[in-house]
Amino acid sequence: MMKLIAGELSKLAKRRMTWILVVVMVVYFAIILFATYGVVSSPPERMSPEIIAQIRASLQFPGAFDTIFSTARTILTLLVIILVASSIGNEYGWGSIRQILSRRGIRYQFVVSKLISLIFYALIGLVLALVTGFVLVLIIANMLDPVTWDFLDAGYIGSMAEIFGWTLFTLLPYIALTAFFAFLGRSAIAGIGGGLGFYFIEAILVTIFNQSGGWLAEIPAYLIGPNIDALVPVSLFTQGPFGSSGDPPSVLHASITLAIYCVVLTGASLAMFEKRDIVLQ
Amino acid sequence: MPAEPDLVVQARNLTKRFGKITAVDELNIEVHPGEVFGFLGPNGSGKSTTMGMLLGLIAPSSGTACVFGMDIRKHLPQILKRIGALTESTGFYPYLSGRDNLKYIAGITGGITGTRIDEVLELVDLKSRSGDPFSSYSLGMKQRLGIASALLSDPEFVILDEPTNGLDPAGMKEIRELITGLGQQGKTVFLNSHLLHEVQQVCGRVAIIKKGRVVTQGPVKELLNRGDCLQIRATQPDKAVEVLTGQEWIGSVAREGEKILLEVKTELASRVSAVLAAQDIYLIEMKARENTLEDLFLELTGEDAK
Repeated sequence: MMKLIAGELSKLAKRRMTWILVVVMVVYFAIILFATYGVVSSPPERMSPEIIAQIRASLQFPGAFDTIFSTARTILTLLVIILVASSIGNEYGWGSIRQILSRRGIRYQFVVSKLISLIFYALIGLVLALVTGFVLVLIIANMLDPVTWDFLDAGYIGSMAEIFGWTLFTLLPYIALTAFFAFLGRSAIAGIGGGLGFYFIEAILVTIFNQSGGWLAEIPAYLIGPNIDALVPVSLFTQGPFGSSGDPPSVLHASITLAIYCVVLTGASLAMFEKRDIVLQ
Repeated sequence: MPAEPDLVVQARNLTKRFGKITAVDELNIEVHPGEVFGFLGPNGSGKSTTMGMLLGLIAPSSGTACVFGMDIRKHLPQILKRIGALTESTGFYPYLSGRDNLKYIAGITGGITGTRIDEVLELVDLKSRSGDPFSSYSLGMKQRLGIASALLSDPEFVILDEPTNGLDPAGMKEIRELITGLGQQGKTVFLNSHLLHEVQQVCGRVAIIKKGRVVTQGPVKELLNRGDCLQIRATQPDKAVEVLTGQEWIGSVAREGEKILLEVKTELASRVSAVLAAQDIYLIEMKARENTLEDLFLELTGEDAK
């Protein structure tokens, strides 16, 4: 199993697409943060001073940490979907899955090694995203006011570590979901379509359900997006693709719900992959 | 029926159905240690599905397949450690070089040194281009890399699916010699090819399948040397055909230009000569006609080999 994981990590590192995704992430951060700075430095006439102050605070520490984490979560979710889908789907497209399985024969190892290596890459991606965001915000914050660090103490750093852990955790359901679709459709397109499709359609449904009231308004508490919002900060500009997902569930509810998604989707992928034939061309 | 441990492959009533389609239908084959075994059949006859089942990629619907005396359903990882397979030419990562692809395979297989990677690259004449991305390789180079990967772990049993696909005549000759060499080293080779001439040259035994069923199986020499066809040339070919057609001990008489083909046992050659001589027809040439694998294939499958 360790050999497979090492092989997966090495393959992803040597793949150009991985580095392109890193560049996309950096560019996304730069666009979001400098666009926000543009709003603060020359605000539109109709914008209220309260809103401007709120936006300004999102670019200054300690409020900027929420901006960094939520921006990282948003872009990483999308990039992780692409990475997972292509990492699994292309094994079918290139026929390399046959090379691997005709040497190992233990199918669950293939699925597990894929998921572990992709989670590891999500972790690296998160670290890179936070470093990128921190550096950019530091530049911008210094342009607004001198940065002070007097809010930093052991308790604050501990809470940052906790948010870091939750942010990584919130990527896991999308990794499991995209992997499931990639295995189901045996292609990268199926994985990307399934992962991104779910991400956007779920956001639309959450908005509709929240506005419907009654029992329909209870449904979002069992979907992925609203539970993620309960665990990680949502900033002014980086909430879900179609706005806020409403009142978030409790942390306990959210973590259990997301864990169930991960377990069920991974279990389904394993069962499906174990059972299905790898047909030769 | 218990598996025979002496056989490398023993398939008994091996069947694979995809929905309503039966791709492999109660297939029975045996591959002996150290032999180069040819597995022939028209496109869609179930060759690749059979190979897929032997490699654990496809689950049989019924029947059993044992490799090295072990059931593939129960002992697949142990079996695969002793097998090297070329399943298709494009099973590699296009962004990695040929060498990096082999390194990756060596990594997940375990126990393969860098020296061994050099050896197999040398063996398939790909060392000079081993640093280039796989995506830049020609079809023939991809095929060579596939063969290199099959031989990487120095396996006892090598499964090759159309190994000369995409190779030029010189490359095909090299691969033929390589396969023959593997046989001489005592390795068992399972060769799936539609190039019947190639199979006839390198294989000791063959199985021909049609619509998922084995229609014949045995040593190539025995299958081809059935001794029931004589080829003659005579002084008056038209009259000779007329005379021979009337003989009830001759199965059939056919004309191929100047040649006359007789379906008759070779030990009756003197009787053919005598019958013709009695009619003042004299033989210019008489020989036992050698069947080719292609003749046999066409006869048994009723299809063009290509």
